[in-house]
Amino acid sequence: MNQTHLFFKRLIQQKTLAFMCIPFVIWAFVFKYLPLWGWTMAFQNYKPARSYSEQEWAGLKHFRILFEDSTFYRVLRNTLVMSTIQLVLGFVTAITLALLLNELKNLIFKRVVQTVSYLPHFISWVVASSIVLTVLSPDGIINLLLTKLHLLDKPELWMGKGNYFWGILGVTQVWKDVGWNTIIYLAAITSIDPSQYEAAEIDGASRFQRMLNITLPGLKPVIIILLIMNLGNILESGFEPQYLLGNGMNLDYSENLDIFVLKYGLGMGNFSLGTAAGIFKTVVSFIFLFSANHIAKRMGESRLF
Amino acid sequence: MFKGKILTAGLALVLAAALGGCGNGSNSSDGASNSPAAKGNSASGSGDTSPVTYKYFSFGAPKKQILGSETTIGKELQTQTGVDWNIEYLVGDGDTKAGVMIASGDYPDIIDSSGQMAKLMDAGAFIPLDDLIEKYGPNIKRVYGPYFDKFRQKDGKLYFFPYGANIGYVSEPNFQTGFYIQRSILKEFNYPKITTLDEYFDLLKQYKDKHPQVNGQDTIGFATFAGEQGSFFTLQNPAMHLAGYPNDGSTMVDMKTHEAKLVAGSEYQKRWMQKLNEANAQGLVDPESFTMNRDQYLAKLTSGRVLGYFSYSWQVGDATNNLKKAGDDDKRYVALPIVFDKGIKDQYIDPPGFVNNYGVGITVKAKDPARIIKYFDNLLKEENQILVQWGIKDQSYAVDANGRFTYANDEQRQMHEDPEKSQKFGFDYFNYSWPRYGNNSVLEDGNAYGPGNQPEVASFGYTEGDKKLLAAYGVKTFSELFSNPDERPWSPAWSIALEQGSPEQMFITKADDLQRKYLPAMILDSPANFDKNWDDYMNQFNKLDKKTYEDFITKKVQDRVAGKW
Repeated sequence: MNQTHLFFKRLIQQKTLAFMCIPFVIWAFVFKYLPLWGWTMAFQNYKPARSYSEQEWAGLKHFRILFEDSTFYRVLRNTLVMSTIQLVLGFVTAITLALLLNELKNLIFKRVVQTVSYLPHFISWVVASSIVLTVLSPDGIINLLLTKLHLLDKPELWMGKGNYFWGILGVTQVWKDVGWNTIIYLAAITSIDPSQYEAAEIDGASRFQRMLNITLPGLKPVIIILLIMNLGNILESGFEPQYLLGNGMNLDYSENLDIFVLKYGLGMGNFSLGTAAGIFKTVVSFIFLFSANHIAKRMGESRLF
Repeated sequence: MFKGKILTAGLALVLAAALGGCGNGSNSSDGASNSPAAKGNSASGSGDTSPVTYKYFSFGAPKKQILGSETTIGKELQTQTGVDWNIEYLVGDGDTKAGVMIASGDYPDIIDSSGQMAKLMDAGAFIPLDDLIEKYGPNIKRVYGPYFDKFRQKDGKLYFFPYGANIGYVSEPNFQTGFYIQRSILKEFNYPKITTLDEYFDLLKQYKDKHPQVNGQDTIGFATFAGEQGSFFTLQNPAMHLAGYPNDGSTMVDMKTHEAKLVAGSEYQKRWMQKLNEANAQGLVDPESFTMNRDQYLAKLTSGRVLGYFSYSWQVGDATNNLKKAGDDDKRYVALPIVFDKGIKDQYIDPPGFVNNYGVGITVKAKDPARIIKYFDNLLKEENQILVQWGIKDQSYAVDANGRFTYANDEQRQMHEDPEKSQKFGFDYFNYSWPRYGNNSVLEDGNAYGPGNQPEVASFGYTEGDKKLLAAYGVKTFSELFSNPDERPWSPAWSIALEQGSPEQMFITKADDLQRKYLPAMILDSPANFDKNWDDYMNQFNKLDKKTYEDFITKKVQDRVAGKW
């Protein structure tokens, strides 16, 4: 009784805030919860433009198709590997760059480096992939360089070798997004108390030691939160770069879940299969997100919720 | 990303269901077709020409979005009918766009389906047209009447207008498709008559040995366009052409038994692959054929380094136009009817056929179908068909003393050929993807329907180099280099619609994936491994259910031969 009383008292006190929240609660409900209704498509032989009552129920048929298809496991593997590469490389490079930038004393140089490194983020993947294809083509700059340096006898068909694909994609994604990802770490670094650095300096800590013992621990909460959030997206390895850089010869390595859904779901008008794959992705993401959060909690680190 | 789209689509559906309720139930398409027709009837009893703008969406090749009346042709048609069009083209992926369009039910007034017809029909996006044609379509009946049975849907009704209703027949004089070769090679070897694949590659090799570099860059012997997702057929199709079959998609159809056999996994495909493998070992094949995108391919063709390539003319239009513009006839290409062995009759020119699996239809969301049908009917009047193809007399074409249509000067030719001018005049927007005569039609006065098919126009555009080449081979037009097509009443088999999500569709998607993976690798590997690679590929291929697919196509072909389209 007392509890509810208190709750209403506080609600009235903060009524302005509560009112301000209403539009966003509605927004979240309409765009994030209502669409969950669409999941029923996965259990039907869904035909568009027919009313709900006319849809034919199919049980777990589409999930069975999904899990019995050998292609599915290949694209699942590709998805996991590509997003893991992206996650690890993305974190390592962005944090390293942020640490290095932070050590720069020349402001102009720092700004230039930062601007140049985040510019590629604004190029669309269509253009970016064209650049990559041109650079890596047999007459491209990479092959020219390597042959002139006698590291290669004849130009290599980089895009035609499946086992190079993950590496190429990883590097491309780093090139495109490293500067952008750095921004959040740089912001976090500015919030570290400068007196800590001063104290460390007086104690005789070298630059490297300061980086290791002050900056990195200072970044830890941000890193962990971002890691948890990104683990939730572990099956989102992206779609455009794989689609645009993929070709028959690297198909075994480039095709991911999203392309699979496009081809066998949307491409064939089989919306049910696409939805089933979508649900699968959500469930996996959910598990990853919650376990990461749980581990963080156990370790007494900052966490998402 | 897709999850998001599907969820949004789901939401749209839920909302639609909630708003529409049960009243919008089972026979929604019937209801929509009846009521607007009635409404249109009263609103436009006799030639209503009040200004109105409808939406037109095309899944075809992308062009700039435009208002019909901004072009000369669109303006003229607007004056006649009062109808203007907001013409929009697909940006991005067609499958996705169609999926979203269907899920949301948000259709424009009319749609040019291109490859998305099966999906749109499945979703009931189009209204049946029979009653409207009966009421308002004398010209539609004149043009499409003989073909009605070829594009009636399962329920016996007509839902859209395909683009191939030929009236009479005249063939294309400048036919160019198949194995292209740079003209400088033919010139260097004094215009030899080559017909077989071996001779073709032999000639490329001789020339490449003599000229290892062009403009400081390495010469490329042979290239093709099999890198992009949707263009892999450029590598698959030559096998059937080399064996003397026309383009029937993924199958070859026997002339007598009308049995359809897959090209994939056939002896023909093996022979074609083996030749490429051999040529690759000699350094003739450009490995980038299997990885480059369209821009890179076209850039390569215009660089003058490529000696030979395989493509369909419509794939390389930009490159050929640019080469022609550049004015160096030796660096241009000519397509030759290459086959496996001497004595095989080439069939590169498509037989007269009827493509019935795409077209333009009126959607259930159209506000006034009756008025649109009237617009279509007006468009199909002969004078308007001349307008969309030839344009306006003395402005974009001339009539000579014998009443033959031709171009009087370069200015008139450019109206049709210069991309910018043709856009401005409206040919680009109105000469295809609308209810129309078929490409090979003949006008009442004997002129060709399409300027491209008029011999006078064809020879008008020939350069000195063209004339020299044609004279060397003793022909007057390029199509004379090729054999005439044999009659194939089912043609083209590639227009046989596969049902969405059917086993046949599943098979062909899987088979294509398998080929995309194995064929390029097989070509680029050393010849010593060829047999092993081929066996590996066939092992995988034989696991797929090819019989179902072949039986399905065979049955459809036999149905078509029997007159059941």
